[in-house]
Amino acid sequence: MPGDILLNVQEVFGEVMPTIRIPTPLRPYTGGQSEVAVSGNTVGDALADLTRQHPDLRPHLFEGDSLRSFVNIYLNQEDVRYLEGAETAVSDNDTLLIIPSIAGGKGGV
Amino acid sequence: MLRLTEALHKVIKAHGEVSYPFEGCGLLLGRVVDGVNVVTEVRPLPNVWPVEEEKRVRFRIAEDDWRDVELAAMLKGLDVVGVFHSHPDSLPVASPRDLAWAAWPGYSYLITQVQGGTAVLSRSWQLLPDRSGFVEEDVVIE
Repeated sequence: MPGDILLNVQEVFGEVMPTIRIPTPLRPYTGGQSEVAVSGNTVGDALADLTRQHPDLRPHLFEGDSLRSFVNIYLNQEDVRYLEGAETAVSDNDTLLIIPSIAGGKGGV
Repeated sequence: MLRLTEALHKVIKAHGEVSYPFEGCGLLLGRVVDGVNVVTEVRPLPNVWPVEEEKRVRFRIAEDDWRDVELAAMLKGLDVVGVFHSHPDSLPVASPRDLAWAAWPGYSYLITQVQGGTAVLSRSWQLLPDRSGFVEEDVVIE
């Protein structure tokens, strides 16, 4: 798989790439990997590469072309909504976090 | 299945009681072992639902709080394996509101009933793969 090749290149040559940390419920779709090295110069490109490497992830992150309403992407410690969204630039040492919005409570919707 | 210690369950119950009559919430940290969410730490968090009076029936976890817990967990080799919250004076059953605001199947959703200020019962739920509802999961407290 392309993802395996990318990971192997990183392991063998020490190449640094941005990484995306995968929440535990989504790891069955990344072969159990907790972090996935991705290519791309922007958050949007990085997410596209992630779902290209692991296509089964896509419906859990996206609804159509947009991120699901409860899915938030952080670049290191910053919510990218408050940066430049999908156009936010990423660098090789960056870590992207996938953080869900959670709410609820007793009663109706 | 969800597994945690009695000591951790006490922390969860105490947070529900101190939050009463509002809902209390937080995250469950640990590891997934053979499909079991094994909790080794709990992180009570603020209920940041924006309308104070509605906190009696609603909770919300701030994304920035989740991020901080996630980053701290990473350093310890732990993961977020679930969410806990309390239902004041109400059964610990996942509600339509919990369903509407849920994330991905796989997390444990532990709910504690706090009756008149005293935590009485916890039950845990998993979101169905098609997100159509919750199914109860076994809870082992040891």
